[in-house]
Formats: sequence, structure tokens, C-alpha cells
Amino acid sequence: MNTKRLDPRTLAYIQTLVQAASMKDDWKTALDKVLVALRAEFVFDNVAIYMVDPTTLSLEITHARAVGRGKAAEADAAWGENLANQVLARESMVTQDPLDDSNDRISQAYLLGLPLFNGSTVFGVMVFVRFGGPVYEDVQTTLAAIAGSWVAALLYRKAHEETHQQLAVLQQKVQLQDDFVATISHELRTPLGFIKGYSTTLLRADTTWDEETKQEFLTIIDEEADRLSQLIDNILESAKLQSRSVQLNVQPLRLDALIRDVVIRVCARHKNLEVELRLDPVPPIQGDNVRITQVFDNLFSNAAKYANGSKIMVATKEDNGSLLVTFSDRGPGIPKAYLPYIFERFYRVPGDRSSKGSGLGLYICNQIIMAHHGKIWVESELKKGTTFYIQLPIKSAI
Amino acid sequence: MSKRVLIVDDEPRYLRLLEANLRTEGYEVATAQDGVQAVDIFSSQPIDLILLDIMMPRMDGFSTCQRIREYSNVPIIMLTAKGEEQDRVRGLDLGADDYLVKPFSATELLARVRAVLRRSQIPTDTGQTRFFSHDDLKVDFARAEVWRGEQAISLSATEYRLLLQFAHNVGSILTSEDLLTGVWGPEYKTEKEILWVSIARLRQKLEEDPHSPKHIVTRSGLGYLMPPTES
Repeated sequence: MNTKRLDPRTLAYIQTLVQAASMKDDWKTALDKVLVALRAEFVFDNVAIYMVDPTTLSLEITHARAVGRGKAAEADAAWGENLANQVLARESMVTQDPLDDSNDRISQAYLLGLPLFNGSTVFGVMVFVRFGGPVYEDVQTTLAAIAGSWVAALLYRKAHEETHQQLAVLQQKVQLQDDFVATISHELRTPLGFIKGYSTTLLRADTTWDEETKQEFLTIIDEEADRLSQLIDNILESAKLQSRSVQLNVQPLRLDALIRDVVIRVCARHKNLEVELRLDPVPPIQGDNVRITQVFDNLFSNAAKYANGSKIMVATKEDNGSLLVTFSDRGPGIPKAYLPYIFERFYRVPGDRSSKGSGLGLYICNQIIMAHHGKIWVESELKKGTTFYIQLPIKSAI
Repeated sequence: MSKRVLIVDDEPRYLRLLEANLRTEGYEVATAQDGVQAVDIFSSQPIDLILLDIMMPRMDGFSTCQRIREYSNVPIIMLTAKGEEQDRVRGLDLGADDYLVKPFSATELLARVRAVLRRSQIPTDTGQTRFFSHDDLKVDFARAEVWRGEQAISLSATEYRLLLQFAHNVGSILTSEDLLTGVWGPEYKTEKEILWVSIARLRQKLEEDPHSPKHIVTRSGLGYLMPPTES
């Protein structure tokens, strides 16, 4: 090889240029370093990079940098747009000398546009500008073309990284969706399994069951059918709340009256339930009567299920422009480790599998309270009981 | 003597369902609510069959099956959820004999239990000869013992029955359907998954190199074959 034609200085420069596009940096830092390195031999005032929008196929400015004269022009990259479109149409380098011959250097723009290739496709254009000249020489345009290849590689890397990030987000969404579907199908199959199992047991032609056993099995079938039906309601409800497609019917609401109504209904269903109310006179809130009722129905039904018939205390008070409801039982309490998860969809405290919860009740409560711009949280102590707090804004524009 | 079935499920309603049906057929029943209890009961009482749920607290059905298989060939039926094919194969891989897909009907349950118990009777009826050999493999039909060279091999009742099918038909190709019908019963003749897993398990135990088997050879598209030996 004839090495005489490559002098050490040129080699050192090429090395600087190549190293500037180091893969260790993020694409933006690397891009800046390439441009700075380029400027050592190829003087320019401004540079702008345009990318082809894949949907409209038009050019969008993505990067502009002013380094020399006319720094104020950084934000205004319109000077290059016309030329960039020509480069895109021709798919080759285009230069353009000043259009007017006024003495204003800034308006005498010498432009050089380079296509950025990915394979054989032009995905962007890089435009350099020299205000007031000089014209671009052949050596310099070659240098600019080398830099153009580097910049294309960097931008391609940027697009690659972005796609990767989007993919990771999507993968996580798919995973959540998979988990959700798996949980739903398991939850639905459990009651269905009992209904199928016990009804085919009663239908067996080769054996007979005494009256008491028949009653026992029929009761199980009946209860499991109810559980299945409630589960389906809850799944639909939570899906609607999740997709924010539930329309709240907002009106002034007296929470003390609403809670009293719920208590009357709940006590009719659970005869032994003891409820103590400490309802301060509080101003009405803006809320959806049906939805808020649903929240309290859920809390009472949970307390009846898990708090072993302990006394329930419900209190309301005004607190700093919002209304605070405290809902406490004196049941066995929830272990601390499980508290952060109890508002999650399908979460059930381990060890409670035999009881009839769907793991959706508190999730739905949380969604409803959030839709009212409120907050629900829980505190619990083992063997002492559990307290739910609900905070709702008194004046709110929902 | 009546057979004793151990039912393992964490849902009391499944325990009740299975127990009530099994008792009408004259089975004795023991119950456990998780794998740890199941292993305890199994090691302290005679048990002829285990019905094993998969999703359980403390120790799940897979670990329980694996634990029990370390020292026993007791027939095990896994209770799996519909649509969880990978669970079924995993259960069979770990040595379960069969599976029952929830939701199941009472008659399906009883039929599977009968079929698995039937297979678990090791046939000791030998016909003409007592011993069979195939290369380094030896079978003593009278004692239902299998040897590879000097090493005794422990087979489950199902695996042993599968081996007998081949031993009685050396040199003939057996189709999946032949084998499923012969070993598991006519109601299983389409359940190829069970056969694949069982053949794989049998090869693991019998073959020097399970990936290039000498005793049980696959004839692609046709079935399986125990090739004739020169002796």
C-alpha cells in the first residue's frame, strides 16, 4: 500500500472524527462531538438535521445547532428547509450559493445539503450553512460526506434505542395483560368447577344421596352461581373503571345520609352486625350517589366477611377543605407485608383463599374514590383491627 | 380390601366433592390441604392413589409430586385447570400418571380413578417364559423386576406396562393408539401427550443414551418399535 499519500496530520484528524462518534456516549453527545471535530477542518456556522416523518413523508427539523456567525439563527432553521427538500428529492448532495447579493453577510447563506442514508433509503437530510462564504471546496464536501455517514449511523442508533424502549414498555403491558387474563380465568373457573362438580354428582345415575346431602350440595351450587355472577359483575365494573369509560353522575351529596342508608341495608342482611356511627354535620360533597354507595357497600361487606363480626365504627369529619371518613373494625387485622397490595386488582391476602372474595372489591373502591379526586388508604394492626380512611374534596370540579 | 385414596386440595369444597363421590364407590379417603400435609400423611399411612391439586399454599402440587416420586411409584392424578397445557405436561414429566382437568364431572372423576387404579395392578402373569432380555435389558415377569446390566431399575406401574407392550411385540411397530389403548385403556387412545411424556420417562430409565435409544425406537409417522436383537 502506498502510505505516502496519507500524511500523519490527516490520519490524526480522521481518527479524531471517528472517535468522536464513540458508542460510549448517548447519541446526542456523540453527535455534538462529531460536529465539533468536523469543524476543525470544515468551517460552518449552522447545521440543521431534518428527518423524514414516516407517516407524512415530509421533513421535520430534529436538530439545529449554531456554532459560528449568526448564532441567533439557531432556533430558526427555515433557511435550510428548501434545500433539504431538494436533497430529499434528488437523493444526493446539493449546494446552493447566496440568492441575493446584498452586503449583509447573514443573508448571504452558502448552503450544503447531504442525504442521510439507511441502506438505500434516505431517512433524513443534514444541511450546513456558511454565512458570507466561502464556497465549499471538493475536499470539504468529501469531509462533510464522511461526517454525514457518521451522523446517519448515530441517528439510526437513536431510532433503534427508541424502538427498544417502546418495545420494553409494550412487553410489560403484554405481561400485565397476560397475568390479568390468567387470573381472571382462574377466578372464573373456581366457582364453575364447583357448579359442574356438584351438579354432576347429584345427577349420577349409579348412586343416591340422602336429603341432607342433596341440600348441602344444592346450597353449594347456589352459592357458587352467585359468586360467579358477582365476579362477572365486578370484572366488567373494574374493566370499565380501568378504561375510564364510567360516566360519573355528579350531584351534591350528603355523605352522612348516604352512610345511614347503607347501614340500614347492611344490617338487614347481616343481622348480628354492630355498627357505631359518629357522623359530624359536614357540608355536602360533589359526587355520584350510586358509586359512593358502592364503596361503602364494599367496605361493610369486607368487614362482615373478614372481621369476624366485630363492631364497626364509621366517623366523618371536616378536615382542611376536605371530608375525612374513618371506617374501622376490630377484626384480626391485616399483616403489614400485605397492606401495600390490597388495592391492587385481584389481590387477595394470602390464607384467605377459602373465603369468597374476588380480589376486586377494594380495587373498585380505589378507582371510584380516585375518579372523585379523593384518596383511600388503610392502616391495620394485627389482633386490633383495620381502619380505612377516605378523603374526598368538599369543593371539587369533577 | 378397599383402596385408599389421598385427596390434596386447598379448597374445602373440592375435598368434600371428591370425598363424597369416592366414598360411594367404596374407596377409603384421606384428605390434606397442602403438599406438606400430603407428604406427612403419605409417609404414615398406606395410600393406593393420590389426587393432587397444583395451586396450593406452602408446597404446590408439582413439588409434592416430585417429592413423593423420590421414593414411591404410587399412582398420582394431577388436578389441573383447563387451558394450562404446560401444567399438564409438567405434571406428567414429574411422574404423575394422569391428570383431571377442572371443571370435571363426577363420572369423569370416577372413571379416571378406576382406570389409574386398574393400571397400577402390576401384571405378573407371564405366559410362557419368565425372563425376557433385550441387549443389556432384562425383565423378570414373575417378580415384575427390570434390570439394566447389573443395575435394578425402578419403574412405575404404568411404565412397566408400557415396557411389557414392547417386550411382547419385539420387531413390530406399535402405533400411539395401540400403546394408549393397551396401557391406559380405550378411553385414552387420543391422549398423545401422556404417551410422549411416558416414553420419554421410560427412555430416561432404560436407555444408556435417551437421545439415541436402542430399546424403544421412534419410527417417524408410524409409531414406536423395540428392534429385534441378533441373539
